[in-house]
Amino acid sequence: MANNSEYVIEMLHITKEFPGIKANDDITLQLKKGEIHALLGENGAGKSTLMSVLFGLYQPEEGIIKKDGVEVKINNPNDATALHIGMVHQHFKLVDVFTVLDNIILGAEDTKFGFLQKKEARKKVKELSDKYGLYVDLDAKVEDITVGMQQRTEILKMLYRDNEILIFDEPTAVLTPQEIEELMQIMKNLAKEGKSILFISHKLNEIMEVADRVTVLRRGKYVDTVNTADTNKQELSNMMVGRPVQLQVTKDEAKPTDVVLDIKDMCVYNEIHKKDAVHNVTMQVRKGEIVCIAGIDGNGQTEFIHGLTGLSKITGGTVKICGKDITKASIAGKSENMSHIPEDRHKHGLVLDFTLENNMVLQRFQDKEFQNHGFIRFDNVRKYAEDLIEQFDVRSGQGPITIARSMSGGNQQKAIIARELDRNKALVVAVQPTRGLDVGAIEYIHSQLVKQRDEGKAVLLVSLELEEVMSLSDRILVMYEGEIVAECDPKKVTAQELGLYMAGAKRQDKEDKEVAGA
Amino acid sequence: MSGIKKFFAKDGTKSVISSLISILIGLVFGAIVVFIVGMSKKTIGVKGAWEGVRLIFFGVLNTGRSATGALTWGFNASNLGNMLFRSTPVILTGLSVAVAFKTGLFNIGAPGQYLMGTLASLALALSLPSDKLPTWLIWIIAFVGAMAAGAIWGAIPGLMKAVFNINEVIACIMTNWIAANLVTWFFDGSAFCNVEEYGKTGYIYKTSFNNVATAKFGLDKLFAGSQANAGILIATLLAVVMYIVMNKTTLGYQLKACGSNRHAARYAGIKDKRNIVLSMAIAGSLAAAGSALYWLSGNTEFFWSTYQSLPGDGFNGIPVALLALNNPIGVVFAGIFMAMLNIVGMQLSNLTAYNEYITDVIIAVIVYMSAFSLVIRMLLNGRPKKEKAPKKSGKEAN
Repeated sequence: MANNSEYVIEMLHITKEFPGIKANDDITLQLKKGEIHALLGENGAGKSTLMSVLFGLYQPEEGIIKKDGVEVKINNPNDATALHIGMVHQHFKLVDVFTVLDNIILGAEDTKFGFLQKKEARKKVKELSDKYGLYVDLDAKVEDITVGMQQRTEILKMLYRDNEILIFDEPTAVLTPQEIEELMQIMKNLAKEGKSILFISHKLNEIMEVADRVTVLRRGKYVDTVNTADTNKQELSNMMVGRPVQLQVTKDEAKPTDVVLDIKDMCVYNEIHKKDAVHNVTMQVRKGEIVCIAGIDGNGQTEFIHGLTGLSKITGGTVKICGKDITKASIAGKSENMSHIPEDRHKHGLVLDFTLENNMVLQRFQDKEFQNHGFIRFDNVRKYAEDLIEQFDVRSGQGPITIARSMSGGNQQKAIIARELDRNKALVVAVQPTRGLDVGAIEYIHSQLVKQRDEGKAVLLVSLELEEVMSLSDRILVMYEGEIVAECDPKKVTAQELGLYMAGAKRQDKEDKEVAGA
Repeated sequence: MSGIKKFFAKDGTKSVISSLISILIGLVFGAIVVFIVGMSKKTIGVKGAWEGVRLIFFGVLNTGRSATGALTWGFNASNLGNMLFRSTPVILTGLSVAVAFKTGLFNIGAPGQYLMGTLASLALALSLPSDKLPTWLIWIIAFVGAMAAGAIWGAIPGLMKAVFNINEVIACIMTNWIAANLVTWFFDGSAFCNVEEYGKTGYIYKTSFNNVATAKFGLDKLFAGSQANAGILIATLLAVVMYIVMNKTTLGYQLKACGSNRHAARYAGIKDKRNIVLSMAIAGSLAAAGSALYWLSGNTEFFWSTYQSLPGDGFNGIPVALLALNNPIGVVFAGIFMAMLNIVGMQLSNLTAYNEYITDVIIAVIVYMSAFSLVIRMLLNGRPKKEKAPKKSGKEAN
C-alpha cells in the first residue's frame, strides 16, 4: 500500500447535525498508523456520533474522510469493513449459544461446496490468538465464558477480518480491574504489530496509561489533540469539562458523633449458592462520617446492601438504625431513616418508562404533599420535580416530563441522588454511585456525599474503585467472601495493603479491628 | 406554537391519528378484498362488488334496499342500537386487556374471566327468587357477583406470577380452559338447563324469564327495534373510572410502577406482589362485567354446552386494546368500531352474496396494522429532542 500520508485515517472538519443540535461541529481527527489514539469526552460530547460517521452509520453534512491520504466515501458499515475498519461495541454483538470460533467466523465463513470449512479458520484464529496473547477457549459457548473472554472474542473477530483500524467503544466499562489490565496489554501489543487503535473512553487513568495521543471533544466541538506524554490527568479533565475540575476530594477531618447504623452478626442467605453470602457482619456507622465497604465485586457487598435495605431477607443478627430495630421491617419501614442510592440504577433506581417527575416521587407519592384521598396532586409533583431539577442540575430534554429512559446515565444518576438526598434521612447508603460516569459527574457526586457527611448524616458507601475508596472514606471496611476482614484508616493504609485484604491474602483478627475502629 | 400545531404535537392526538390510519388501511384493504372476491365471482360482478365496498365503509347506515333494488341509506336505528349492544362486552374485555397491559401484564385470560362472569351472573340471576326480591336488586347482585368471580379468576394467574414468577400468559391459558370446563360442568349439573321455551331444550332461558334485565334508560326508544340498553353506559362509565384510576390516583401510579419495573417499585417500598395480584383481579372483574352485561340484558340466550370452546368476546378484547393503544377511553371507541364491523358483516351477508367473514379479514388487517401504529406514531413524532439544561440555569454545572 503506497501512501505518503502519515495518517491512516483522517476525519477532516466533520459536521453532523440532528434537528436542533449539532452533534459534531467541525471535528478533525487524525489517526497515525500504529498508534493508540484516545477519544475523550463527557457523555453526550459527540464521540459516538463521530464513530458512527466513521463506521458509515451516519452521513456527515460537511467534512471528508481520508484513508491513507485518499478521500473515501463510507456509506454503510460494509464500506467500513471493506476499508478494514473494525469496531468492538460497548455491548458485545455475539451469538450467545454459538461457540467462540463460530462467532469469530460468523459472516466471513470459508465454505467448500456449501459446507463450512472450520479447520482453516481454527488455524488462523489460533495463530492470531497466540500472536497477540488473546487467550480464548474456541469451543466454549459464549454464554458460558467471562465478559473478558467475550471481549477477546470480539477483538479476534476484528483481527480475523484483517482489520487495520480498530475502534474500541468504552471497552473497560464492563471489565474487572484485572481484565482491564490485560486489555491494556493487548491493546499495546496490537499497536506494536502495526494496528491503529481508536480508543473511546472517559476514564483518564486508562487513557494516560495506554494512549499515545488524545483528541478531546466537548459538547460536539473539537477542543484539542495532545500527546499523552505532554499532558496530565488534571489538564485533560479540564479540557473535557471546560472548567477546572477537582479530581481529589477535598474534605475536612471527620467528626463522627452518635451511632446511626448498628449491625450485629448480620447474615444473608443466598438461595442460588445455598450458603451465606453475608456472614456475621458487625459494623457501625456514626453521624458525620463516611464509611466505605471496599472489596472485589461479588464478595457479598450486593447481598449485604440488599439485606440492609430490605430487598433480601436477613437470616441472622440484628440491624438498628437510630436505635430502632429494623431487622424484620418491610422495605418501606427500613427506608424510614435511610436513603438508598442503588447499585443498579436501571433495575432498582428508576422506572425507566416513567417521566422524570414521577420518578422523583417514587417513594413519596403516598405523602400528604403529593396525594389527596388517593388522587395524585400533579401540581405539587411538578413543582417538587422542578425544584429538584434546578437544585441538582439534572439535565434532560423536556424537564420534568422527560421519560427517564431517554436521559444520559449521568443525569439519571443525578436524578436518583436528588431524590434520595432530598428525602433527608439520617443514613445515606450509596452503592457504586459513580459507576460509568464521567469526571464532571463523579466530582459532583463526591462533593454531594461529603456535604451530606458535613450536615451530620451517616454515609455508608460501597465501591469497587480503590481510588474512590481511598479518597472519599473516613473509615474503610474490607469485605471478603461475605465477611468483614479488615478495618483501616484511609490515611494510614496503602493501596497495596488494601489489595491484599481484598484478595483474601491477609486479614485482621478481632482485636486489631477493634483497635483500628476505636 | 399556534393552537392547531399544539394540538397535533400532543401525544394523545398522535395516538388517535395513528390508530385512525391503521383503521383506514384495514378498511381499504377489506374493500380491496371485497372487490377482488366480487370480480372473481359471477354472481357478484362489478355492481355487487361496488355495493360491497360501500357497505364495508357505511354498512351501519344502510337501511336495506329500495323497490328498485338499489341500496338505501339513512339512520338505521336498529343497526346502530345493536352496534352499541354488541360493543358492550368487547369494550369491557378490551378494557380488561388494556388495564392489565398498562401494568405490564398480558391478560390473555379474558375469555376465562368472561366465562366465570357468565357462570356467576346467570346462576345468581336465575336462582334468586324474583318474587321475594326486587328484580333490580337481583340484577345488581348478579352483576357484582360476576365481577367478584372474574376478579378471583383473574387473581389466580396474578398470584402465580407474584409468588412463583410463573408467566401470566401460560397461567391464563390454563385457567381459560379450566373455566370452560368448569362452566360446562356446572350448567350440566344445574337445574337451569331444564328451562324450556318453544320446545328448545338444553337452553338457559333468558334472564328476562324472571324479569331480571338491564334497564333500558330510553335507549330502546332512541334505537327502536334494537337490543340497546344501559349496558353501554355502564361500560363507558367503567372506562372513565379506569382512566381516572390509572392516570390520576396513587393506586394507578403503583400499578404502573410495578408493571414497568417491578424491581424499582419494590426498592421504593411498593408492595409489588400485592399490586400484580390486584391488577390481574381488576382486569378479571372488568372482563366478567362484560359478560354480565351481555347475559343480563334480557334478550340473550345461553346455550350451556357451547363452552367446548372459548368465547370470542374474550379474545376480541385483545385487538380492541391494541387498537386503542391501551387507552381506557380509546377502548370505548375501538369496541364500538369492532361491533360496527360485526354489523357490517351481517349487512353484507343479508344484502349481498358475500358472507360475513370478510369482516374478519378486515379485523385481522387492522390488528396487524395496529402493531404498525407504533411505527406511524414514531414517524409523527420525529426525532427525540436532545438534552438541555434546566430552566433558569445559565450557569455551568457545579
